[in-house]
Parts: sequence; structure tokens; C-alpha cells
Amino acid sequence: MVEKMEEYSKKVMENFMAPKNLGEIEKADGVGKVGNPKCLLGDTLLHTNLKLKKIKDIKKNDLIISHGGKYTAISETFNRNVNEQIIVLKNRLGEIKLTKEHLVYAIKVPKKDKFLRTKNKKTLIPAWYHSEQLEKGDLILYSILSEIKDAEFLEINSIKKKLDYKSKTIPSKIKLDSDFLRLAGYFLSEGYYSDKTTKTHLAFCFNLNEDKLVEDVVSISEKIFGIVPTIKKNTTKHSQVVYINNVFVVRLFKELFESGAKHKDVPDIFMTLPLDKQKHLIYGIWRGDGFFNTKIPRGGYSTISKELIHKLKILLLRQGIIPSVYFEYEKTDKKGQKHQECYRIHVGGKESTEKLAKILKIDLKNNKPESINSWIDNGYLYTPITSKILENYSGKVYNLEINTAHSYNTDAFTVHNCGDIMWIYIKVSKNDKGEEIIEDIKFKTLGCAAAIATSSMVTELAKGKTLTQAFNITRGDVANSLDGLPPIKMHCSNLAADGLQEAINDYYKKQGREILKIIHNDNCSCCNKEKNCNKKGGNI
Amino acid sequence: MNSIYLDNAATTKMHSSVKAAMIEAEEKYFGNSSSLHGVGRAAKTELDKARENISKKVSNKNHKLIFTSGGTESNNFAIKGLAEANKNKKHIITTKIEHDCVLNTTKFLEKNGYTVTYLDVDNNGFVNLEQLEKSIRKDTLLVSVIHGNNEIGTVQDLREIGKIVHDNGSLFHTDACQSFTKVPIDLEKDNIDLLTINAHKIYGPKGVGGLFIKEGIKLEPLLHGGGHEYKLRSGTVNVPGIIGFSKATEVIGEKEIEHMTTLRNQLVNGLKDVADSWLNGASLDCGKRLCNNANISFMYAEGEAILLYLDALGISVSTGSACSSNTLEPSHVLKAIGLKQEQTHGTVRFSVGIDNTKEEIKYTIDSVKDTIEKLRKMCPYKY
Repeated sequence: MVEKMEEYSKKVMENFMAPKNLGEIEKADGVGKVGNPKCLLGDTLLHTNLKLKKIKDIKKNDLIISHGGKYTAISETFNRNVNEQIIVLKNRLGEIKLTKEHLVYAIKVPKKDKFLRTKNKKTLIPAWYHSEQLEKGDLILYSILSEIKDAEFLEINSIKKKLDYKSKTIPSKIKLDSDFLRLAGYFLSEGYYSDKTTKTHLAFCFNLNEDKLVEDVVSISEKIFGIVPTIKKNTTKHSQVVYINNVFVVRLFKELFESGAKHKDVPDIFMTLPLDKQKHLIYGIWRGDGFFNTKIPRGGYSTISKELIHKLKILLLRQGIIPSVYFEYEKTDKKGQKHQECYRIHVGGKESTEKLAKILKIDLKNNKPESINSWIDNGYLYTPITSKILENYSGKVYNLEINTAHSYNTDAFTVHNCGDIMWIYIKVSKNDKGEEIIEDIKFKTLGCAAAIATSSMVTELAKGKTLTQAFNITRGDVANSLDGLPPIKMHCSNLAADGLQEAINDYYKKQGREILKIIHNDNCSCCNKEKNCNKKGGNI
Repeated sequence: MNSIYLDNAATTKMHSSVKAAMIEAEEKYFGNSSSLHGVGRAAKTELDKARENISKKVSNKNHKLIFTSGGTESNNFAIKGLAEANKNKKHIITTKIEHDCVLNTTKFLEKNGYTVTYLDVDNNGFVNLEQLEKSIRKDTLLVSVIHGNNEIGTVQDLREIGKIVHDNGSLFHTDACQSFTKVPIDLEKDNIDLLTINAHKIYGPKGVGGLFIKEGIKLEPLLHGGGHEYKLRSGTVNVPGIIGFSKATEVIGEKEIEHMTTLRNQLVNGLKDVADSWLNGASLDCGKRLCNNANISFMYAEGEAILLYLDALGISVSTGSACSSNTLEPSHVLKAIGLKQEQTHGTVRFSVGIDNTKEEIKYTIDSVKDTIEKLRKMCPYKY
């Protein structure tokens, strides 16, 4: 069935068959929870249905895009401290920083000439891999939001402020149709609003040669709100601005799209609309601020809103268009003009540009043959890792538990949240010398024989020790005390020492004391088959 | 201590009748079946008898049965031998739930310029017939589908598959190592061109297998030499082993099938009330499941841990969990039927045998329940 691994030592079996200190301590002084589920760095961005959130800011019950492209509720969040090398993987959608054991949904592409051809790569079957197993060129899978929920109308809050006798009321229900979505697209790209009492308007800023778009905004406004906009042209700036002067329209757009260009965002209800409707939104957004070069052919879009760029990415993927996402730092160009830091989306490739051109109603004849390296199949984007680097990291890492799906999307990857889990409980008291010692220690573990045996062993090693001594117990010590572990188990199951350190730090935290820096090193003496193993003797 | 062997899908204990036949053969028929003298001719006669006896299990006609060293060789021979002899066709179809010896053979051919389609299966492990039909091309050399799956026990409808394959002008191979003598097979009616069988899964000796090759199908040998077996396989023929194989085909009859089915059902039903657990593969009563197979997943317990605890209680089972593998990859079959990684963690395969008793199954049910409870008590979640 599966390739068998090396046998366990007698001591591993003893500790597995009759684990010591199993259970939990009620009112424990410290609890350490470790396991593979806690492995993304805090700044990793995740798509929740509220907005793009850093994993460290995510809370229970937030909704997140999971494996299979559905919004799923988060049931638990975890974090732990690490001081180790972490892995940075990049692909066309972005980058992710994660610990070596974290599982990523991917395809390992065999290093054979044959697999240079995409046709052959497509025959490979995806699976979960530890991030450290993956290399540049391996294919990462990104789960595309697949939910479709149509919304026909938007309700409008049309309560007038006191003393407002002037404002024209607009319909209380607005049809969420192609016209409105196009207008929303224009607004996301070119719009702003002012809600000062003296100056209440929605504004769309176009170039002088964009008369067609100006006409479109005017006609949509008349049709939907029954309001005739005013137009101001400025020949020196080569621009024209369309104003819709109405408090309710301003309020509606403010609620829908948030405030300020930096936070412009596509509302959630738009994200799950049927694909045909979303085409109009993309049209508006792209026509407003994007470009499309029919000669190369290539499409591009840039914005200073991180939310907008990631939502646009999802909108495009839903249409089967494969984008690349870039980040540009603040810069000053040759003319001395300052550009804010911004996010860009590029669309290239035959199929993607053709689809985009169709949405933008642009005629495109593109007969150039091309090689593709990314494709969409069955709700997943398959795209290669473009770089992998190792970084030293010291600090918190995070993970989530999701009720039904057990995996979730970051802004560029689908990652897993399952594996061995260990919880260590400690009770602290003082010895004759007044030092704090571990009076009692218990564990609970879900995992294989090695996971259970290492948990048992670490409790045995720590019992009665001072907190400082206990904190210095390493993964190597645990493995050595068990007369070694099979190499493959060193990373994934030998977490017990980390759990103990977490428990001690939890105790310090509860006491309001400074926590200790985690000092474990998992390159221990007993696993001399490990590549990076250069030290003998466990204690480092 | 108890010794309850529930890993009969891995291998079986040789039946006493087989052992007796083989000891007799080692005495009387030790000659080289290729030798011209009387000792050799006696071995040859017994070899032919054995060949005929095994053949009649799957066909009335006289097809070639080539004896090999086992299922792995037969599968390799069927696929590579056919590919080597028919180089104009470069496409092969198989499934995502084959035994490794088929999957790694097709992977080898992929390296040599072949295109391979791996068919999906549904949640019960049945091959997607529509996809099969669509996948067959003009240059499809072979469709290879496992008959009874070794992990989840799902038995494919050979007749239906064979018909689709033949209607679309390709050849059909099936690996029947797990199903041979347990499920009826008919080379003609089931449209089979190549059939893999072996001895050690049916209480025969290890190291003996066979490949049926229908008339008119050309294979290139894997082993070149004296050309002992119809010039298709060389190496002095293992006459005593083959005589044992022949005897073994008589071990499992209707009574044995019924016995194993009863025990298997007793086991599955006995474990039904374990919360958060389920049976993988085809349902018990659909008639399309190997009579001896029960593959069960338990949440909140890990497969390797379950296996080792049961082992300590004298019960031998096997697991498809990632934690007992060198690659940290769970079984490809469990993935193919749609289990999520964490759902594969606590998966155990029980495969009953003709010698197991109801008492043993009862003890096993109790032991599994205790073990799961014990492990779930260790689990930080829920239990």
C-alpha cells in the first residue's frame, strides 16, 4: 500500500505502548500547543470574505476561501513561536513564507526532459507536499473561488438628514445589473467622492479623449438614479470630471467601496455574482484605469489598493484568465514624478488575452503560437514556483483550523492545516532552593507512534527539572533518549520539545513575565541522514 | 498470545493441501520440464495438468497461460511486453487506483515516450466508464484496470469495461491478483485479452503467478533465455510451485466465499457504532466488493498507531496512512476515492481469510474499539 519506513527502536515502542504522563492537568500553569497546523508567518495574506486579512488578524468564524473554492468558517486559530529557517515560495500570484513542514497542495515535476512539455505536466497528479520538498518549477495549486450567488437588488438607505429639504431622492432599490456593475468598475478605477455638506458628489475622472466612457457614466446615472451629472473639462490637465451630485449616491458608494483610494475594495456580494455579470465589473474597472495592447498582445492594470488588486485577481481567475500580480515600491521616474507604491496585474498569453479582450469588447487577432506554463483545471490554477529561498526567522507563526475543509487559500497558494498535534500541560512549583520546577506534566497527542513516544519522553525528561533546565531540552535530546527515530519522523513527529517550551512560555506569559526565546534546533545528532546535520550531540 | 491474521490481502498462509501437493511434487516431479528424459517428461506432464486446471477457472478455450514469478512480473510483462511488441501505438489507459506495479510500469513507459491516461474513480472506487470511452484513441495500445482493488476491495465490472475497450478497438488487461477464485472471471464473456493472476493471495506459494494471453496477441518477453514458456518467458519452470498454484485454485469455493463474507460483514457491522468512522470502497451488499476486504477510516486516531496497538494484541492488519510511509504520502487509492489527507490518517485495512473464526472477529472488534478509544483519549481534540 505505502512504502514502509524504518523500524522503531525498543524505547520508542515502550513509550508508545505505555505512554507516561498521558492526560491533561486541570488549571494547568502553562499549556503548550504545537503541531504542524501552525506554520504560516503572520503577514501572510488570506482571502476572507470580509477582506484580505493578515493571518495574525484572523479570528474564529471569519470566512475563508478553502480547498474546493468555497467560503468556509474558521473554527480555531493557532500560533506558536519559532526560531528556525523558514521557506519563502513565490509564484505569479505572490509569495508565501512558511515553515518547512507545512503542507502545500502541489505537483512535484519529475526532473526529466519529457516534463518540459506542459502537455505531460498536465498528466501529473497533485498531492500535499512539505514546503521543503518543493523546488523551483514544481507546480502549485491555487483554489479558485467557485461560489455563485446572484444578487438582484441593492437596498438604499434613503433617510434624509434633518434640515435636508433639497436632496433628490433616488429609488430605494437599485438593480444590480450590468449597467450598475460597469459604473462600479469605473468608480473603482477612476472615482472618488466628497461627502462634505457643502460639497456632496461622486466624481469620475477621465481623460479628454475618453468621451465614450463619460457618455456611459452620464447615461447610467440618468437611467439608474434619474440624475443628470455635470461635466467639467480641464484642458490644461487634459482631463474631464463627471459629477453626480447626490447624497444618497455618495452614501451608497461609500458603503459599498470604502473610503480613500488605498482602501478601495470590491464588495463581497460582487465577488460571488454570476460570471456574466462580473464581466461588466471587469469591463468597468479595466476600461477605467487599465491598458490593453492589441499588438503584443497584453493587458495591464495598476492600483495602490492591495484589496482591489487581489479581488481583481480572483475575478479574472473566475473568468479563466490567468493574471500575474506584482508589487512596486514607491519610486521617482525620470521626469522626477513621484509614484506611490502600487500593485500591478498583467495578463498575457493567448487564451487569457483573448478572454480579456472579449470582456473589454476589443477586437483581437492573435495567431502567435506560445508556450504556457500555467493553466486552470477543475477549479484550480496550476502555476509553477518561480523561486524558493530560505530565510532565518524568529517570531510567531500562525495557522487556522477549518471545520470541514482542513485547507485554505493564501493569496497565492492552497495550504494545509493538518498533521500531528501535541498539547503539553505543566504545573509549576518551587523547590528547596526557591527555583521554579515542573512539578507535574501531562500531554495529549494525535499522531503516530513517534509522535506519542516523543510526547511521553519529553514529559519524563522534564518532570522535576527547573524551568530553565526544562526549557533547554531539545528535539535532539528527546530523540536520543528514545535511541533515535527514523529520519522521516524527525521533522514531522518530533515536536514534543517545542510543545514543552511553548508550555513554559505560556506560564511566563500568564505571570506577566518576559518569555524566553525558543532555542530548539531540529538538526540533531540522531538523524545523521538529515542533510543539514552538522552537529553531534543533541544539545545545541 | 492471540494470533489473528487479518492481512490476507497482503499474503496468505499456505493451505495444507497445497503444502502436501508441493512436497509430493518436490519428491516426484523435480525434473526440468524441458528435459527429454522420463524424469523431465513426468514434470512436463504435471505442468500441463496444472496449466489446464488453472485455465479452466477462467476459460473453456485453450488460451496461453504463461507462468511467472508473481503478480508484479505478470503486470510488467503484460504492459511492457505488449508495448515492446506493438511500437506503433503509444497511448495507454489505466486508473488512479492500480497497484504500484502497474502504476510504476506505466510511469516507466511515460519516460519512454508513452502517454498515459489515469482514469478517475468515484467515491466507491468504480472507474468512470464515460471517461474511459472518451479517453480511448486510435493509438491506444492497452487499457489496464485492476479487477478487485487491493486496498478498498472494489470490484470493477470487467464485462462492461472490456466491451467499451473492444468496441473502441483497444486491448484489455486486468490485474486479478486479489479477485482470482473469489470473483468469477470469464476471458471470453468479459472481453479480457490479458489477465494477471497469482498464487500467494489464494493460499498458494509465494513467487508463482501467471499471465493469460489471448490468441493472436503478441508480447515481447521480459526475460530472454531458453524460451521455456511458449518462448515468452525463460527460466527453468517452477513445477512444484505451479503444482501448488494449481492446488490453491481449489481452496476457495462457494463455502469459503460465504464464510469470508460473513466474517467481513460481522467485522464491519461490529465496528459500525464507532463514532466518526466509515467504510471505504463499495458497499457490503452491492455484490461488487471483495468478500474478504474491509477498509475502515477512523478520525482522531492515526493508522500507524492503530496498527501497532493491534499488533501488540496479536492482530495483524495494514494501513494506508501517510505516517507509516517513507514519503509522508497517504495511499493513492484513498486519495483517488476523494478522501482528504486528514481523513486518510486513521485508515486500516482488514482482510479476513478462510481460517479466521467468528470468535476471532469478535475479539478483533473489541480490540479495535478499545484501541480507538485509547488513542482518542490521547487526542487533544474532542475525545
